[in-house]
Amino acid sequence: MLSGVFGFWMWQFLGRLHPLMVHFPVALLVVALVLEAIAFRKKNDVLRPGIQVVLAVGAASAVLAVMFGLLLIANDDYSGDVLNAHLWFGVATAALSVVTLWFHTKIFKHQKINFLKLYRAGLLLTVIGVTVAGHLGASLTHGADFLTEVLPQADDESGPETESPASMALIKAGGDHTFTEKELDLLSLEVRTIFAHNCYKCHSADKIKGELRLDKKEFVMKGGESGPVIDLKDPDNSELVRRISLPRSDEDVMPSKGKSLSKDEIAIIKLWISKGAHWPDNAGEIKLFPMAALAPRTPALPPARPGDNNAVDRFVGAYFDKNKIEWPTLIDDKLYIRRVYLDIVGLLPPPETIDAFVANKNPDKRNQLVKELLGMNDAYAQHWLTFWNDALRNDYTGTGYITGGRFGITDWLYESLRDNKPYDAFVRELISPGKRSEGFIRGIQWRGTINASQRVEMQAAQNVSQVLLGLNLKCASCHDSFVSDWKLKDAYAFASIFSDTTLEINRCDKPTGKMAGTKILFEELGTIDSTVSVEEKLKQLSVFLTSPKNGRLYRTLVNRMWAQLMGRGIIEPVDLMDNKPWSQDLLDWLASDFVENNHDIKTLIYTIVTSRTYQLPSVALDDENKINSESFAFGGPLLRRLSAEQFADAVSTVVYPLYPDSTRQYVPAVPASSFARSSLVKNDNLLTALGRPNRENVTTKRSSQANLLQAMELTNGAMFNTVLARGARQWQVKYATSDQLVHEVYRKALGRNPAEAERKAAVAILGPKPEANGVEDLLWSVLLLPEFQLIQ
Amino acid sequence: MAHTWNRREFLKSASAATLGALAAGAPLSMLNSCGKPALTSTADTVILLWMAGGMAHTETFDPKRYTPFEKGMSANSVLSTFKSVPTALDGISFSEGLESIGSVMNLGTIVRSYVAADLGHILHTRHQYHWHTCYQPPQTVAAPHIGSWMAQLLGPKNPVIPAFIDIGQRFSVGEGEELKAFHSAGFLGNEFAPFFIPDPSTGLDSVKPPVGMDYKRFERRNQLYNELISKGPVGEFGSDYQKESLRRSMEQAYRLLNSPEAKAFDLNSEPKASYDTYNTGRFGLGCLLAKRLTQQGARFISVTTEYEPFMGWDTHENGFTRASAMKKQIDKPIAQLIKDLQQSGHLDRTLIIVASEFSRDMMVEGRPDAKVQEQVNQPDVINDIKHYGMHRHFTDGCSILMFGGGIKKGYAYGKTADERPCKSIEKPIRIDEIHQTVYHALGIPEDTHYVIEKRPFYTTPDGKGRCEMDLLSGTQA
Repeated sequence: MLSGVFGFWMWQFLGRLHPLMVHFPVALLVVALVLEAIAFRKKNDVLRPGIQVVLAVGAASAVLAVMFGLLLIANDDYSGDVLNAHLWFGVATAALSVVTLWFHTKIFKHQKINFLKLYRAGLLLTVIGVTVAGHLGASLTHGADFLTEVLPQADDESGPETESPASMALIKAGGDHTFTEKELDLLSLEVRTIFAHNCYKCHSADKIKGELRLDKKEFVMKGGESGPVIDLKDPDNSELVRRISLPRSDEDVMPSKGKSLSKDEIAIIKLWISKGAHWPDNAGEIKLFPMAALAPRTPALPPARPGDNNAVDRFVGAYFDKNKIEWPTLIDDKLYIRRVYLDIVGLLPPPETIDAFVANKNPDKRNQLVKELLGMNDAYAQHWLTFWNDALRNDYTGTGYITGGRFGITDWLYESLRDNKPYDAFVRELISPGKRSEGFIRGIQWRGTINASQRVEMQAAQNVSQVLLGLNLKCASCHDSFVSDWKLKDAYAFASIFSDTTLEINRCDKPTGKMAGTKILFEELGTIDSTVSVEEKLKQLSVFLTSPKNGRLYRTLVNRMWAQLMGRGIIEPVDLMDNKPWSQDLLDWLASDFVENNHDIKTLIYTIVTSRTYQLPSVALDDENKINSESFAFGGPLLRRLSAEQFADAVSTVVYPLYPDSTRQYVPAVPASSFARSSLVKNDNLLTALGRPNRENVTTKRSSQANLLQAMELTNGAMFNTVLARGARQWQVKYATSDQLVHEVYRKALGRNPAEAERKAAVAILGPKPEANGVEDLLWSVLLLPEFQLIQ
Repeated sequence: MAHTWNRREFLKSASAATLGALAAGAPLSMLNSCGKPALTSTADTVILLWMAGGMAHTETFDPKRYTPFEKGMSANSVLSTFKSVPTALDGISFSEGLESIGSVMNLGTIVRSYVAADLGHILHTRHQYHWHTCYQPPQTVAAPHIGSWMAQLLGPKNPVIPAFIDIGQRFSVGEGEELKAFHSAGFLGNEFAPFFIPDPSTGLDSVKPPVGMDYKRFERRNQLYNELISKGPVGEFGSDYQKESLRRSMEQAYRLLNSPEAKAFDLNSEPKASYDTYNTGRFGLGCLLAKRLTQQGARFISVTTEYEPFMGWDTHENGFTRASAMKKQIDKPIAQLIKDLQQSGHLDRTLIIVASEFSRDMMVEGRPDAKVQEQVNQPDVINDIKHYGMHRHFTDGCSILMFGGGIKKGYAYGKTADERPCKSIEKPIRIDEIHQTVYHALGIPEDTHYVIEKRPFYTTPDGKGRCEMDLLSGTQA
């Protein structure tokens, strides 16, 4: 620019006086206008001499302000549309003020009254000009929305708010708060995250604009071609802060393309500078996020209360004592048998079985019932198949199958569940698979190009870590994670185990030229030999992952099972096993007991569902989001809703089979039920509406919130209503009187007799002798009762 | 807008517990869901008219030199198999057979420079997934359809009309599973899933009492249900979200099925003349249903010519003959839809989009600079009329029409080359820009996202889609 000529410090100094100088013309010219307004009616008033002086000084200062302004532009780095507008308004206003002064001099000194109109117009224009120029100037220094942002209607033009609660907390803690080393690390991470998302494109190793890099401590401190970007003494005056705070219209604004940073992000950066721009030397390696212990642990059992020998209850008892929670009374036989039937085999208990169970005086009858249910191998498999299909994203139809890019594992999975395959063997066969179980790690392969973070090896890495280890590797498979300490290189090293060639690391889908190593996420578990075949590597991995040293694998499993049976895991979300459990001891004990019992899932279920803890009354939440709350306190199993499959099977049991046998996609040697279980059929509108997912992605938790589309499917859906009509005819033929029929519907659907009021209401609709439509409507009403749809 | 309740205020007022839940990775915490978006919207409703199967731009809205069929002609010489006809816009021609749509082009914009993604291999459903979700499959989480985003962010416009209505696609066809993968709300949850009406002529069935049940009986059934609830023991228990949502949604369904608006689904109540104009088949009737639903307050409607491999626009042979037939299906209903909504005053706030997953060409598969594996046998010399047409899949220049809801009127955006390859040569525009422009028109800020598994998942990848202001009225070219 002109800096060569005007480089003298004095010019720069005078330039910087511009913001000071501008206040003179602004004030004086406005005062002149006010005086003129007062003198409006009198053509030559006593005020004239005063106006003359005010005008003269005002015009002179306007000219000076313009000159200083030009110096400021020349010596400091300003440019942009707003600046240009400001410049020309300033110059024009100064010129106009001189002309106006000249007019006034004519009037004042030479009594040329005919100049009065011209002068007044000139003065008015001058004041308008100075106002606009002043506003534009303010926009340059304070941002375009400086004025408007405080208006109630202000449109928010600035960037987004950050969603990170950590940053909110940091901002709240604010400047006066003394930051601990840990908090400083966190603050630094926040800043690095902001840099990575907004600045790295042009200011990192890949691309260095303005000689500035923001990806390493030394570069950030060094600054760029215009000098340091950080001023520790005056954070607000840091070049970095200035540039990111500029309005979008300014040529200097950063990021130069795209969106401005949000106010919170700018606040975080300012705060970070004011706290010394902390940047730990080992920023890349420092562990900021909690990481659960890997090793197994067997905590000592808390003392038993009289009559209490279930270990779960001893831990929960200790938890209750600590949290001053009283043991509630356990649920009655009817609720228990319904709960345990639905949980173990996914079916409603038959009314006769309920009667017999209630009548049974054996104090050990609940344990015996559980043993019986766990012995129903095929029914058990057909229930748990749903859970594992979701988790292992196995389905009978779906994307990928038509192009041969996906493989089902149903045969293997069904048999494994039916035979209660020990979990360590189950995992080994998933990871180091034969033909029948390879679908899980083979993933879904689309024809054509795909994002590097979704290559099948990476899908395997992501799914194995999510499902089996309760660990989210998805972020890190594209770039170093911002929500965990997992790095891109960790994800690639893990993915390399599933690959027969060495993988090149891609960062955000761009090749980096660096080759990945071959490593398990947790090196303590063992070293994979990177030179052997992929089959051999997978074999090694399967052995290392299932070794007793890997407490994480077993904690993840027992936590999932607990969540299935209790409505909420000991840790939530169940895929984030680094989160804090509400009882570490209980979780650890269950995991080590599971290993001790030969990784037997049925034994684990037995331990849980025969506990007094499982038999507590259910706890209702008013908001589904509370399940994930960190402040969750355990008080008993959560109230749950029937899954799509449990509901469909219950309809088939009570009313009429929803699915003909021919729709089974897997035909078990022992069908174990008089109708096709819904876990064995293709997904359809009814099941989808009730929550069965598309199994393109892993699903480990379904929502039990009802919604309109679901209600529509149940209210007028063809499938459901057709089955109701068919079932109604059978019911009608079977029962001669409405009284009998209502009684039986209640017993079969709800496991109890109707109360007198219920019976009356139902019979009133049916009339004394049931007709088919009435029966159908009764069945519909009962199946849609919350009592039917919930597991209490 | 009396008060814009934006995210900042939401964050300020959000309780520590909510933030804690967010930190814990609560999947269902949509930060932007709270209240109205901060932008001023120019549309309330979107109608997507989907030309499934790949509609050739040179045979429809962006015709090139016409070469009539003759035996022994060179394939490479054919750019268009139809004559060009004038439209309401000076200097803009459409292909013969699209005169009706041409006549309403004074009400909308033709985008001639849409560039579809290069996915390395042509697979219709994968490109369609990309068009409808803005994300290329596979993804680590299930991406939502744009209609589901609208349903989640804006909710239904009329509480008794489902927010996202998906007309005309059956999933029993080939690649049905691949179609299901994106006709879905993905991680947003089934609450925002499409309400399917595979056959518009039986649309009413989806919103009236089940077959064989009259309203009187429907009423009685509902009464019994309510009575049994109030007399049953669960009524005594404390409140829980499952029970609350069950009762609320059953109530909503009952209201929808009983509402006067449900009549909108009944095409038989349309005057005969109008019905006949639309009735070019299922797609035409879909347009009619879209009109009726828009007038009753729908939020997002998709009407498709239906994708079925090698059917509809998926012309692997007989391109000329098949394109003529397809044009007969779409020309009158689309034009009539625009005219009718214009006349009823709804067009101003309804954004109508006509689009396809990619275009077609006789010679180039994929794009000129990155051809992909050819899937169609096209002889260089044409002797049989079945080889006369656009049979290969072309991604480098496609047409999109947009009408209403703040879109410029009488405008042509972008340009394709007049000689092969007829690729975009001016203002190429991609799917994230198209989506962002639609979101912008609906008043949805570009940084709108949803935190899923701790990852912010934006409406367009990384929130980087740019709104093309040049498509919106009130801005200069």
